[in-house]
Amino acid sequence: MAIRNPSVPATLWSGARTGAFHLVAGVLAVLFLFPLLWAVLNSLKSPTEANASPPTFLPSSLSLGNYETLGKYGAGIAAYTGNSLLVALVTVGGTVVFSVLAGYGFSRYEFRGKNLTFVTILAILMVPYATMLLPLYLLLGVLGLQDSLIGLGLVLVMFQLPFGVLIMRNAFDSIPRELEEAAFLDGAGALGALRHVSLRIVTPGVVTVGLFAFLASWNEFLAPLIFLNTGDKFTLPLMLVSVREGTFGQIDFGALQAGIVVAMVPCVALYLVLNRYYVTGLLNGALRG
Amino acid sequence: MGTPRSLLRRGALPAAGAALVLLGVTACSGGGSDSGDGPQTVTLWVASPTEAFSSALVDAYNKTHKNQVKVTGIPDDGFLQKIGTAAGARSLPDIVVSDVVYLPNYTSKGVFLDLTSRIKALPFASSVAPAHVQAGTWEGKQYAVPHKLASSVLFYNKDLFKKAGLDPEKPPADFEELLADAKKIRALGPDTYGYDFGGNCGGCTAYTMMPFMWAGGADVLADQGKTANFGNDTVKQVFGLYKQLWDAGVMPANAQTQDGSTWANNFVSGHVGMMAQGSAIVGDLQKQTGFDWGVTRIMSPDGSGTSTFVGGDAAAISATSEHADAAWDFLSWTLQDKQQVDIVAKNGDLPVRTDLAGNPNTAKDPRTKFIMDGVAGGKTPFALPFGQAFNDPTGPWIAMVRGAVFGANPDDAIAKGQQAIQKALDNAQQ
Amino acid sequence: MAVSKSTAHAGRTGALFVAPAGLLTLVLFVIPLGILVWMSLQDYPLLGKPTFTGFDNYLDIPGNEVFIQAIGFTLAYTVVTTVVMFLISFVLVAIANSRRRATKFYRTSYFLPYVVGTAAATLLWFVDSDPVIGVFNQVLVGLHLVDKPIAFLASPTLAFWSIIVLVSWKFMGFQVIVLLMGLQSIPTALFEAARVDGASRWQQLRFITIPSLRPTLALLFILSVTGSLLAFDQFLILTKGGPDNSTVSVVFAVYNTAFVNFDMGKAAALSVVLLVVLLLISAIQLPLLRRKDV
Repeated sequence: MAIRNPSVPATLWSGARTGAFHLVAGVLAVLFLFPLLWAVLNSLKSPTEANASPPTFLPSSLSLGNYETLGKYGAGIAAYTGNSLLVALVTVGGTVVFSVLAGYGFSRYEFRGKNLTFVTILAILMVPYATMLLPLYLLLGVLGLQDSLIGLGLVLVMFQLPFGVLIMRNAFDSIPRELEEAAFLDGAGALGALRHVSLRIVTPGVVTVGLFAFLASWNEFLAPLIFLNTGDKFTLPLMLVSVREGTFGQIDFGALQAGIVVAMVPCVALYLVLNRYYVTGLLNGALRG
Repeated sequence: MGTPRSLLRRGALPAAGAALVLLGVTACSGGGSDSGDGPQTVTLWVASPTEAFSSALVDAYNKTHKNQVKVTGIPDDGFLQKIGTAAGARSLPDIVVSDVVYLPNYTSKGVFLDLTSRIKALPFASSVAPAHVQAGTWEGKQYAVPHKLASSVLFYNKDLFKKAGLDPEKPPADFEELLADAKKIRALGPDTYGYDFGGNCGGCTAYTMMPFMWAGGADVLADQGKTANFGNDTVKQVFGLYKQLWDAGVMPANAQTQDGSTWANNFVSGHVGMMAQGSAIVGDLQKQTGFDWGVTRIMSPDGSGTSTFVGGDAAAISATSEHADAAWDFLSWTLQDKQQVDIVAKNGDLPVRTDLAGNPNTAKDPRTKFIMDGVAGGKTPFALPFGQAFNDPTGPWIAMVRGAVFGANPDDAIAKGQQAIQKALDNAQQ
Repeated sequence: MAVSKSTAHAGRTGALFVAPAGLLTLVLFVIPLGILVWMSLQDYPLLGKPTFTGFDNYLDIPGNEVFIQAIGFTLAYTVVTTVVMFLISFVLVAIANSRRRATKFYRTSYFLPYVVGTAAATLLWFVDSDPVIGVFNQVLVGLHLVDKPIAFLASPTLAFWSIIVLVSWKFMGFQVIVLLMGLQSIPTALFEAARVDGASRWQQLRFITIPSLRPTLALLFILSVTGSLLAFDQFLILTKGGPDNSTVSVVFAVYNTAFVNFDMGKAAALSVVLLVVLLLISAIQLPLLRRKDV
C-alpha cells in the first residue's frame, strides 16, 4: 500500500510493473466509469431514442431535448437548484464548523460528560433514518422550522455530525501536540492555537468533511420529501424523481439520465477543485516546515 | 426549549403539532382563514404521475376563480410515506389525491372529512363513477370523489396480429384463443413476444389479473374486504393461463423482474402482441406512430364474461382542513360537464362520470369510448389493508402470483396465498 | 495527554468546543429519540389516535416474521459487503496513492460513482441490468462473455450479488478517499527515518502504515458495519425486497411496518431495539477507535 518509494531503478522489471499497474488501474477505471458515461451518452440522445428498446449504442443525433424536459418542469430547474444550494450551504457550513470544534475538543481536552457526548453523537449513526423522520418532523413543527430549508439543513448537519466529528478527532489526534504548545507559549489562546497551527494541518480532514456533507445534502431525497410541504421549496432530487415518474408505467430514461448528469456536475466540479488537497506529500511538507 | 419530558406528557405532542400547524395555516392565509371573505388558498397534494392531470384542472380553475388552488406534486416513490408522516403530525393539506385503492385505509381512520351530504346534493350524483364512490365509503358515509379514472383492458398490437396471420379486428375472446394468438406472435422473431405482465409488481398484477377472476365469477375480495376467495377453480385457471404463457417462453424475460417502474415499456415500444394494461397508457399509444393497436375486454376463461378494474385516483378533503368549503368548491367544479368534457376528455383521459361516456371528445377515438363504456360494469376492490396485502412488494398477493406463475407448485402457492391474504384482512379488522 | 490537562479551566474550554455539536445533538437527536421511545410504548397507527400500551410493541417483535427473517439476510449482507469493500478498496487506494502517471485520473474514476445519489444510481442499475432493455447484457452478449442475457434480479443469489456489486461501485469512492486522507496524515518523516534504518517496503507497511491507519480503518469499519446493518434504499429500489422476499433487510421491514402497515408504534419499537443492538455492537468496536498510544 505504501507506494512511496521512488528510488527503484528503471529496469525492465519496473517497466513491466508499470504496465501491469496501468492495466489493472485502467480496467477498474473503465468498470467504474462505464455506467456514468452511458448515462451521459443517453442523456444526449433525443427523448424518443433514449427510451428506445432495445437501446441504441451511440446517439443517432445529439439532442438537448431531455434537458429541456427537466428545465420546463414546475417552478423551473433554477429554482430547485437554488433551494438545493441553500440547503447545501447550511449543511456544509454547519457540519464543518461544528465538527472541527467538537473534533478538537474531543481530541485535546478532558471534561465531564465527554464520553457520554461522544457516544451520543455516534449513536446518530445507529438509528434507522426513516423512523426518526416523524419525530423530527413533529419537533421541527414545535420549533417553527417545518417546511423550511434552514430546518432541513440543520437536520442534515445533525446526520453528518458522527462522521465529521470522528474524522476531525482522528485528524487532530495525529498532530503532535508540541506544535500547539509552542503556540501557547507564544501567548495564543485555545482558539488561536486551533486556527493558526492545527487547522492548516488538518485541511484534508476539513475538505473531506465538507465534501461529504455537500454530497449528502445535495443528493438527499427522504428528508426534504418529509420536511418540505410546498412545491416551490422542493430540492433538486425531489424534482428529478417527479420528472422521470411523470408517465404511468414507464420511466423516462432520458429525463432520468439527464437528471443524473445535472445533479452530478456541481459534485464533480467541487471534487476536482478540492482534489489538490489529496495530493501526496503536500501536507506533510507543511509539517516539516 | 421544550424538554423531552414536557413534550411527551400525555400525548400532548400531536396536539401541539396540530395547534402549530393551525397557527401556521392561519398566518399564511392572511388572517381570515374560514370567514369566507377574501380569496383563500387551497392546498392539494398529488403523486407525480397524476400531477400534470391535476394541474390542467387547477390552472383552469385558478384563472376563473378568486380562490386559488396550489398543487404540490409528491414524488410517487415517497407518497405513502409523505402522507403517513403528515397525517401522523396532523398536517395534511386541504385536498389529498390518492390512489383509489388506499381510500379504505384513510377513511376508516377518520383522516378525511365526511362529504356525504355534499356529494348527494350534486345534480349528477348517481353517475359519479360508482366504483370509486363505493371505495370511498366507510360505514355508510362518503368521503371521496373520483379525480382521475383508470380502467384495465386487454391491449393488442394490430400490426403484430397481421404479421402473425391473425385477424387484427378479432382479438382473443377466451383463454384458449389468447394462448394460441400469443404463441403465433412469439414465433415472429426473437425480439417479439406474445404477452407481457409486471411479474414482480403487486399493484400491476392486481390491476390486470383480478378482472380475469371477476369475469369468471370469482368474488376474490368479498364481504367489504373481510373475506378472501382465492381457493377456487377460476383463480387457478387465471394463474394457469399466465403459467402456460411463461412456461412456453411467450413472455419477455424481464416480466419476471418487472417491478412496475417500466412495465408498459415493452408493449408501447411495439415488441409485445398483447397485454392487460391500464387506460393510462392510451395517451402514449396515441402519440406513437410505430404501430396500430386495439383494445378488448378482459375476459373469463371460457369467454362468457368480462370485467375491468376501475382504478386511478380519488380526491378527498382532510379532516383537519381549514378551507373545507373552498376545497369542495374546487372538487365539485372539476366534476361538472364542461371540465369533464373540455379538459379531462379532451386530453384523452376518461371522464369520471358514466353519463358523460358518450361525449364527443371521448367518442372521437372508438377505443377510448370502448374503455369508458366498460367502467360502469367494473369494480374497485375494497380492502382495508390493500397496500400491505396487494401492493406491497413483500406482501402475500405478489408472493402468490409469483409462486403460481413462475413456481413449480401453483396449487400450493395459491393455498398459501389465500391463507396469508385472509390473515392480513383479519388483522386489519382488529 | 491534553495540552494543559485536568485543570478546571481546560475542562471548561473543552466543553465549550464540543458545545455547539452537543446542543444540536440534544435538540435534533436526543429529543426526537425520546419521542420515538414514547411512540414505541403506544399503539400508534400513523393515521389514527395513539393509545398507551406499555411494552406490547416490544413483546410483539419475536412474532414479526418479516423482521425476524430479515436478520439473517442483513447479517450476511453486512459481512460480505464489509469484506468485499475493504479488499477492493485496498487495491484501489494503492493505485490512487501511487506516484505514477494518470493516478489522478484513476482516483477520480473510482470516486465519481459516489457523487450520484443512491436512489438515482440504483435506478440506473435497475434499468441497465434489465435482460431485455439493459446495456449490461448488451455488452456481455456483444463481447461473447455470455450466450444469452442474464436476468440479474430473477434469482435470490444473483440478486444478492447484484446488490453487492452495485454497493461496491457506489460507495467505494467514499472508502478510498477516507483511506487516502488517512494515509496522508502519516508524517513522511517516519518513512524517511525507516528507509535510513534500512527497513524494507513490507516492514514500512507493517510497522508504520498499518498502525498509523488504525483509527481510520476502525472508523471505516464502524461506518461500514452500521451502514450495512441499516441499509435500505438499494433494496427498496433495485429488488423491492425480491425475488420472493429474499432481499428484505431489517430496516426495510421497519419501513414497511411504518409506512405500508401504518403502524408507527411497532416501527418505533423495532427502531429502538435496533439502536440498542447497534450500540452494543459498536461498544465492542469502539476500543478500536482509540488511538494506540505510542
